[in-house]
Order: sequence, then C-alpha cells, then structure tokens
Amino acid sequence: MEAFLQALAAGLLIGAVYGLMCVGLGLIFGVMRVINFAHGDFMMLGMYTAFYLFTAAGIQALFGNAVGPFVAILLAGPMLAIFGYFVHLTLISHVSGTRTASLEGEGHYAQLILTLGIALILQNGGLLIFGSVLASIRTPLSSSAWELALSQDISVFLNKARGIDAIVSLVIMTLLSLLITRSRIGKSLRAAADNPTAATYMGIDVDRAHRVAFALGSGITAIAGGLLATNYPFHPFVGLEYVIVMYAGVVLGGMGSIIGAFWGGMTIGLVQQMSTLILPTQLQNAAIFVVFLLIIFFRPQGFFGRMVERT
Amino acid sequence: MNKTTRGLTRRTVLSGAAAVGLSRLAHARQPAEVKVGLIVPLSGIYTRPGQVMKMGAEMGIDHINKQGGIKALGGAKMKLVVIDCGDTTEKAKNAAQRMVAQETDLVAATGAYLSSFTLAVTEVTERAELPVLTLSYSDLLTERGFKYIFQTAAPASRQSELGLPTLMKLAESASGKRPKTVAMLMDNTATSIATAKALKEKLFAQEGLQLVVEEIWTPPLSDATPLIQKVRSARPDLLLFMPNAVSDAKLGLEKINEFGLGQGKIPTVSFSITIAEPDMLQSVSTEAVQGIMTIVANWGSKGQEELISELKSRYKEPWATQNVVSTYGDMWLMRDALEKAGKADRQAVAQAFRTMDAGPSKYYPGGQLKFDEKGRRVGAGVVIVQWQNGVPVTVYPPELAQAAPFWPKKS
Repeated sequence: MEAFLQALAAGLLIGAVYGLMCVGLGLIFGVMRVINFAHGDFMMLGMYTAFYLFTAAGIQALFGNAVGPFVAILLAGPMLAIFGYFVHLTLISHVSGTRTASLEGEGHYAQLILTLGIALILQNGGLLIFGSVLASIRTPLSSSAWELALSQDISVFLNKARGIDAIVSLVIMTLLSLLITRSRIGKSLRAAADNPTAATYMGIDVDRAHRVAFALGSGITAIAGGLLATNYPFHPFVGLEYVIVMYAGVVLGGMGSIIGAFWGGMTIGLVQQMSTLILPTQLQNAAIFVVFLLIIFFRPQGFFGRMVERT
Repeated sequence: MNKTTRGLTRRTVLSGAAAVGLSRLAHARQPAEVKVGLIVPLSGIYTRPGQVMKMGAEMGIDHINKQGGIKALGGAKMKLVVIDCGDTTEKAKNAAQRMVAQETDLVAATGAYLSSFTLAVTEVTERAELPVLTLSYSDLLTERGFKYIFQTAAPASRQSELGLPTLMKLAESASGKRPKTVAMLMDNTATSIATAKALKEKLFAQEGLQLVVEEIWTPPLSDATPLIQKVRSARPDLLLFMPNAVSDAKLGLEKINEFGLGQGKIPTVSFSITIAEPDMLQSVSTEAVQGIMTIVANWGSKGQEELISELKSRYKEPWATQNVVSTYGDMWLMRDALEKAGKADRQAVAQAFRTMDAGPSKYYPGGQLKFDEKGRRVGAGVVIVQWQNGVPVTVYPPELAQAAPFWPKKS
C-alpha cells in the first residue's frame, strides 16, 4: 500500500511537469500544425537560462536557494518566449502559416527539415557555449521531503522541489487556459487553429497568431524545463531525452488539444512511476509506450482530440 | 654586360648546391611523427568523460615528446589523432570505420569510454589489425578471442572479486559487525551487468550476504522514487548503487537523503567512477556524498602528485579520475611498445604489447605491464575511492591511498 501511494504521489508530481512540457508543444502544434523537432532544445535553453539567471545574475544571492530557483525559472519563461518569437519571425514563418500554399506538402517537409536543423544548431551551439559539464539548479528542496504519515505504518514522502514544481505547473496551466478562453489573443489563437482561412477573412492576422503561439509554447516549455532542472542535471543534449515524452503526451492527449496535452503528460508521469509496482524498473519507459499504443488503439483521437478534422 | 650582372658564377652554383644538399640532409634527420589515436565521445551526453580522456592523452603526449619522443625511431614525436565516437554504439562503429579508413598510418589507439562503445569500436579495429588499449570494464571485451585489444583495467567481474571482500573487512573492523543483507540498484549498461553477474553468482554467497532488493533501470532515470522506496522497505545493511550517468547518480543519492536513508544510515557503495566524477559536485551537496565509496579500476593516487597538480593548473580539473590517469598511462604504454617494436608499424606495436613484460605499472593500480593471451593486463587491481569532505580520495590499497578509509556510522 505504501509503495502504491508513494508511486502515485511521485507520478502525479512528475506528471504535472511533463504535462506543462507537453502543453508547450501542444500549443505550437495545435495552433500552427508545425511538428517542432527543436522543441526539446528550446527546453534545454530554458534550463540554461534559468540556471544562469539563478547563479550568475544574482538571483541566488537575492532570493536564496529555496525561492531563488523558482524566480529564475519564471523569468526564463518570458525570455525564451521572446527568443521563440524571433525564431518564428526569422525562420519558421517562412515555412508555415499563409506561406505554405506555395510549398510542397503544405510546407511540412520544409518544416521538418528546418526544425531539425534548428535542433542541431541549438544542441551543438549549446555544447560550444555551455560546455559538456552537467549543470544543475541546486536547491536543498530537491533532497528533502514533506512526510505525510497516513498511519503508523504508512508514510508518503513528497519531494519539496517536485511539489513546488507541480504547483507552479498547475498555476501556469490555469493562467494559460484563462488566456486561451477569455482573452482577445486567445480568441485569435483559437480562430487561427480552427480555420486559418476563415480567420484571415475575419481580419485576424494568422501569421501573428502563429508567432504568439510559438512564443507562448517556447516560454511554457522553458518554464517546464527549469522546473525539471531543480531535480535533474542537464546538458546541451537533454532535449533529446524528453522530446519523445512530449510528443507521446501531445498525441495521447489528442493532437491539437492543449488541455489534452497536459493530461497526456500527466498520464505519462503516472504510468512511468506506477508501472514499477508490477514491472521491472527497466521496463518503465517501455510501459509508457505500451499504454500509449493501447490508448491510440482504443481511442485514436487521444483523450481530448476530435475525430473530425478541421475544415 | 659587365661581370657583376652576368648571372651565374661558379661560386653561386656551388653555394646553391651546398644549400640544397644541407637542406636535404636536415630534412632526412628531422624525426618523423608517429600517429596514435584517441577515439572517445566528444559530442552527445558522454562528451565530458571524452574530454577528460583527451586531457590525459594530451598531457601524456606532451610529456613523452618533451623527453625526446620515441628514441628507437630517432626521436620521432608522437602525434595524437582525436576521433569523436559520438553517443551511440552505431556512431562509435561508424567513427571507428572512419578512423581506420582515413588514418591509415595510426599505430595504436585508445578508447572508447563506455564498454558498449568499445565493443563496437573494436569490432572494426580488430579487422583493421589496429591495436587498441582500453580502460573499459566489460569482461566481454576480452572474451571474444580478439588479438588487437588490450584491457588495462581489471575486468568488471574481477573488480567485484577484489573490491567486495575488502569492503566487508572494512565494514567489520570499523563498525564491529559484518553486513548481512544487501540491496543492489544498477543500470543495465554492459559494465554494471558484468559486475552484478559476478556478485550474484559467487561473491554474495562467499561473503555471506543475502540479496534483498535487486532493481535494474535503463538510463537515464526520470525519478528514483520506485528504486529507493524498495530499499526503504527492505532496510538492508549495505546498498550497492551502480549508476553510470551523473544524472542517475544525483537522482538516486538525493532520493536516499530525502527518504532519510543517507548520512550512513545505509552505507552506500558503488562500482563505477560516475559517482566520484567532478560533475557530481555541480549536482549534489558534499553532505549527500560524504562517506560514499566506489570501487574503480584506476584513480589519482599517491605518487602521482605532479600529474594531478598539472591537471589542476592546466585544465582546472579538481582531481584526477580514472579517465585522466588511465589515458595518460596509455600514452606511455604506447611509447614503450613503440620503443620495443623499433618501427612505426601497427602489427609490430601489437606484437610488442603481446610480448611486453615491463614490470610494475606506474599509472595503473596493481599488476604488471604485461598482457595475457586474452589481452588482459596481468594482475590488474582496483582502487577504492571514498568521498571525504567534498573530495573523492583513494583509500585503498594502502600503498596508493591518499587518506585512511572510514565506514559510515549510522547516525
């Protein structure tokens, strides 16, 4: 029982961060229909931005080792959003949005090659600039826990850093939902996602909506990366380790659904942790894809996806 | 046309000829270069150990060349050819193919950090008849009947045989009781599997240890909760924790502390250098690692103070790991083989490794500079390293120890 509760708690906490990670990618894919191979590397940049803000920009000295990491992580988000905005403006916009009409395969071939190229540049550029030494946002919270004594024999440990990570993830997710559903920007994003042609006729600048989606997606993933970095040491190639998780989460949740992406990520976290109760630990990641295949088999559109393709 | 502008004189012709002759003579006396290879990961997630191995190789080459190069070859200088073997076995194999195709004048090579990479690389170098020295641990490397691989480190199974009894004695003498139960957490890399095989098949029974938890993971770990939860439930006397990635080591050690099992509550021992890498201090606090021991094939130790000091000043490395010391030693071993072979020829160098008998080794612990018929260094020993006040120091064997060991006490 204790092992079950412990795995459930760990799955929920890590799943919340995975969920946020998937939301960043889901937003880009949902609005732009661009498969962004460089997304994991934007996460890597978010990790390093948070790391340097924390260690070199004085945030550690100002806020200490407990609060400082989260201040740095929340600042890294907007910085990566600005970076994402310019990457879209200068590169991605040439192969997406309204320009795809003249491109073969609706621009998807060019998008794949371009984002793969950006990924390679970011990885190897990262190796040149940041070096190969593992970096880590060090906080005492990552090796301490809140102990929930449920009975005399059963107590569950909630890692403090992971706990705060999960709360931050939920807050960001709520704010994003409000932005998408309640704001004018959100409406333009939804319109550009649902029917770009009709949106254009209604006076919505679809390219601008795509740019905003790319910036938001990059910023959110940067925050998720920063949260992950409070527990996980990283290097310039760390994106490769998580990009599969992100795609699996997005597909699981339903392509194009942002809330679905979050639950897709959460499911991956839960399956990853709880599978160890019945399977050997080395099959942890295999279990994710078995569940993934099962869900795709019985519900091909994912948790929140729609069967009807957009018109 | 006057005399001065008439052109060639007999004197000019003679002096020109003399100059040409002298320059040719000088060219003939210029020692040739002898190329040796270093095939290590310099991109991808294993870049860091590859870079550290490169540091050791560069220092070795510099020192050898400063001392006059290869005397048997007229003072020929050694030249290092560095090849990136990437971060997968497929890339490692391709890199090895590129190396043997493009660098046809290589006489020997060393590499390739992970046993899995070395296995792939040596499949290629064996066919090219290029002798390769390796610090990799897997027993399999030298069990394939290959003739051109030379393993300087004790194989993984041997390391367990040498290290575990020593640890048990240390535990008994320091704590007054012998551990009876053990938990083993390991990744599924070739080295860990070879180590675990020896432990389970023979050594646990021999040392009277009962295995109460065995968990294997595929690196990288995303979270160590399921692993450490099982240790927490079983409460063993000893924990063998065998990660081969720093991120896995950090997650495991932090979880051990989080669950209140650290600081000696369950003495933790490893079997790889990962847990004592300088990168660890970037990721975990010194308190989290204090007292943790690891059994490794090589480490900076007593008698290597100058090398360690140069490493610190030249590369800003805090201490010398196996990757530096062994690769540095490999350069000297190649030099010895070239001196013995008397020619820059890979076949002759391989034969020199096979027939070498150069006595005790200065840069590898224990044994001799001599290889058996499998290509294993005869009598290769192990080093036990322990984290003490933020530095992993050699504590065993006594002749190499930088500090005395202590057994973590239950607090």
